[in-house]
Amino acid sequence: MADDIALTAHVLRRLTFGTHPARIAQFDGSAPTDVIEQLLAEEPLQPEPPELGSDDDYGKMPEWWLQVMCSPEAGLHERMVWMWHGLITTGLEKAYPALVFRQHKVLREHALGNFRSLLQAITVDAAMLYWLDGSGSTIEAPNENYSREVMELFAFGRESGAYTEADVRAGSKAFAGYWVDGDNNDEVMFDSDSALQEPVEFLGTTVQTAEDAIDAVCDHPECARYIAGKVYRHLVGTDADGDRLDQLAAVFADGGLEIRPLVEAIVRDPSFLEARHTRPRSGLEWLIAVRHLYDMDIEWYYLDELGQVPFNPPNVAGWPGDNRWLSAGADLTKAHVASDYAWDTATLDEDDPLGDLLRRAGQFEISEATIAVLHDAIDAVESRRDLSTLLHALLACSPEFSLA
Amino acid sequence: MPASVSRRELMKWASAGAGAAAVGGATWLVGRDDADRNSPDIAGSNETGPRDTSPTPPTDTAPVPVAANGDLGQRLLVVVEMDGGNDGMSTLVPYGMGAYYDLRQRTAVSETDVLQWTDEVGLHSKLANINRRGAAVVQGVGSSAPDGSHFEMQARWWSGDPMNGRSFDTGFLGRLADAIGDPAAAAVAVSVGSGSHPALLSKKVGTLAIPNADAIGYIVGANEDDPLRLAFQRGYAAFGDARGGGHEELLRAVRAQTVQFAGAIGEFDEEGDGGYPGSSLGQGLRLAAQLLSIDLGVRIVHVPMNEDFDTHDDHPGRHPALLESLDNSLEAFFVDLEARGLSDRVLVMTTSEFGRTAHDNASAGLDHGTASVAMLMGPVNPGLYGEHPSLTDLDENSDVIATMGFDQYYASVAEGWFGVPAGDVLSGSPELIEGLFG
Repeated sequence: MADDIALTAHVLRRLTFGTHPARIAQFDGSAPTDVIEQLLAEEPLQPEPPELGSDDDYGKMPEWWLQVMCSPEAGLHERMVWMWHGLITTGLEKAYPALVFRQHKVLREHALGNFRSLLQAITVDAAMLYWLDGSGSTIEAPNENYSREVMELFAFGRESGAYTEADVRAGSKAFAGYWVDGDNNDEVMFDSDSALQEPVEFLGTTVQTAEDAIDAVCDHPECARYIAGKVYRHLVGTDADGDRLDQLAAVFADGGLEIRPLVEAIVRDPSFLEARHTRPRSGLEWLIAVRHLYDMDIEWYYLDELGQVPFNPPNVAGWPGDNRWLSAGADLTKAHVASDYAWDTATLDEDDPLGDLLRRAGQFEISEATIAVLHDAIDAVESRRDLSTLLHALLACSPEFSLA
Repeated sequence: MPASVSRRELMKWASAGAGAAAVGGATWLVGRDDADRNSPDIAGSNETGPRDTSPTPPTDTAPVPVAANGDLGQRLLVVVEMDGGNDGMSTLVPYGMGAYYDLRQRTAVSETDVLQWTDEVGLHSKLANINRRGAAVVQGVGSSAPDGSHFEMQARWWSGDPMNGRSFDTGFLGRLADAIGDPAAAAVAVSVGSGSHPALLSKKVGTLAIPNADAIGYIVGANEDDPLRLAFQRGYAAFGDARGGGHEELLRAVRAQTVQFAGAIGEFDEEGDGGYPGSSLGQGLRLAAQLLSIDLGVRIVHVPMNEDFDTHDDHPGRHPALLESLDNSLEAFFVDLEARGLSDRVLVMTTSEFGRTAHDNASAGLDHGTASVAMLMGPVNPGLYGEHPSLTDLDENSDVIATMGFDQYYASVAEGWFGVPAGDVLSGSPELIEGLFG
C-alpha cells in the first residue's frame, strides 16, 4: 500500500476537485480513512450566486462555477453536484443562464439527498422543460423527448431493456400539460386541459401524472442499479462488477434512493483506496489541477479547447466517456495551456526543486520514467526562474498529471 | 487540356479509358457518357443539369469532371460547414420560377446575377469559380420534420439523423471515420477549431480538433536559440517514449502520436498565406490541405466557415459576400490540391443546418427556414440532383418542403465516395442519390 499522503491525494482527487495545497496541508498526517470520514461529514458549500443579468452571462456561469470548484473548501457535495450536472444535464444553448442557474440550485439541493426527490424536481424544472422540449407538450401531440431521455439517460440506460417504445409514448402523455410562462418570470405552469385525462399503463403500472410516472421510474429495480453504477463509476473510475453492483443497488434501493448512504458504501469500501489512477482526469479536472499547481487563475475559456465547459455539455448525454480525455487534441491543448501560464509560477526550492514541485502538485506516486524526464530537464536551463517554468509546464504535461 | 487538370489526373483519366486525347470538349463528353450510363435519377424532377440541357457546351466554360482515385482507401473528404443557415434560394437561384420574385420582394437575386444552368435555376454569380470547376448541386435537402432551432438542427446534422438530434451518441463524421480509419492513426478526422466537435465524436478511431497550425508550435520547432522552449519540447516528447502500464501507458502512446502528428504538420512551415484568403475558411482549408497531404491517417477534415449566414436582416447586403468568401477559399484550395497532386482524392461537401424562410421579412432579411441546397465538388459528376422544392406548395409555416432528407445526402457520400454501406453509419436505409460518382 502506498504512503498515507499518496492515498490522501487520491481521496482528494476523487471526492473533491483535486489536491488543493490547503487540503494537503489540512490532511497531512491523517489516516486516509479519516480523510474520507471528514470529507463525508463536511457541510455543503454555500457560494454566493453569480451576478447575472448582463450580456456576459454565458461566460459568467462557467467562470463562476470553476471558481467555486477551485476553492479549497470545495468538497464531496460540490463534487456530486458536478456529477449530477453531467448525468441529468442541461446546457446554455437551449435554456438561458438564469434558468440554468435555477436548475443548478435544484442539483445543489439534492446532490447528496434523495434521488427520487431530485428526479421529481428536475422533471418540472424550467430549464429541463426547455432542454428536453417538455414545455408546451400537450396530450393531443405529446412530445416524447423527456419521456425517452428520463429512462434512457437518467434512470435505466438504453441497454437495460427496462422500457419499451410503448412506455416512451405512455410516459410522454403523463408528462404533458406543463409549460414555461415567459411572461411571468418563467414560472412553470400546468394546464390540466392539456394533460392526460385517463390513466395509462406505464412500466407495468398505472399512472396519470408526471409525479406518478417518475415514481414508477424510481420504483423500477433497474433505476437503483443504474444510478448505483453511475455513482460508482464517477467515484471509483471503473465499472462495478455484477456482484458489487447488486450489493450497491440493494443499499440504494433499501435506503429509499437516498444518495448519501450509497456514496458512503462506495467510498468506505477498501477497494476505493486501491482504485488509484484508474481513469484519466477530465478536461475540467485537469485545468483545476493546473490552477492548483500554478497557484493562479487560468481563464475558464481554456475549458472550451479542452472540451468541457460547465453548463455547456456537447449533447443531452453530457460529456462522453473517459477515453476522450486521452485524445491527441487534448494533449495538444495541454501543451498550450501549460506553456502559456508557467512563466509566472512560484520559484521552486533551490536545493530540491523536484521534491518541491511534486508536493505542490500533490503527486506522490510518480513513475521513474517521469522522474527521469524531469531530472534531465533540470540540466537544460540555467536560471532558477527558467527551471521553475520548465518543471511546472512539464509536470502538467506528464502522464501521471493527466490521471485522476 | 485545361490547366486545372494535372498530369497525374490525366494519367488516371487515361487509364480509366477516357483516352489521352481527352481534352476540352472531349473530356466533357466522356463525363457525359459516364453520367448517362449511370442514368442519374432526378427523383421525378423535370429539371436537369447543364450536361443535359447543353449537350455540346462551349469548351471554355464547361466544367471538367475530375476523375476519382479508384482506390477507396485513398479517398479523402473535406466538409465545409456554412454555419448559421445558408439560404438555398440565394445560392442556387430559382430565377425562372415565377413565385420566387413574389416571395422575395426585398431579397431576390436579380436574373442578371445568375449563372443560368437551366431555364429555372442557376448558381449565384459570386460562385463563378465553383461554376467553372463544376459542382453537384443537391436541391431540397433538409428534414421532413424541420425544427427552427439552430441548436436542434445542428445537432441533427452533426449526429446524422434528420428527425432527432439525440438519437446517436456519436457524430456522423465520427462514425464515418470509425468505418474507414486506422485506429492506430493519431487522428482520422480533424475539425478545424477549438474544442472537440460533436460531429466528430467517434468510438474506435481518434478524432481531434485543432484551431490552426500555430498550436503545433508549442510541441515542435524550437531550436538551440531558445533553450527553455527546446527543453520543454524534448521533455514533452520524452514522456511518450517510456513505458508504464494502464492509462499511463495509453497516455504515453497518445503523447507519441501527438508529437508525431505535430512533427509531421510542422514540416509544412510554409511561408505566407499559401495563396489562401485570410478568412477562417481560407486558413482552415489551408490546414486541411496540409493535413491531407501527409501520411498521418487523416481522412476527413471538417471546416466550419465561422461566417454569419444567419441573415435575419440585410440579406442582399451580406449574403453575396459570404458566397464570394466560399468561392474564393475553395478556389485556392483546389489550386493547392492540384499542386499537391490530391485532386483525384479529395471530395468537398457543404453542409448547413437549414435554409431560410421562403418569404423575406421587413428588414430585407430571411429568418430560420427549412430545406436548402448542398454542394459536392471535386471528383463528382457536376449537375443538378434532387428536386427543387415547390415555391407554391408550402408547409404550414409557409416554408418550403424538403424534397430529400439530408441523410440521403450523407448516405450517398458514405457509399458513393467511401464505399461504406449507409446502414453502417446512418439509421434505416436512406435512398441514395444516383449518378453522383463514377
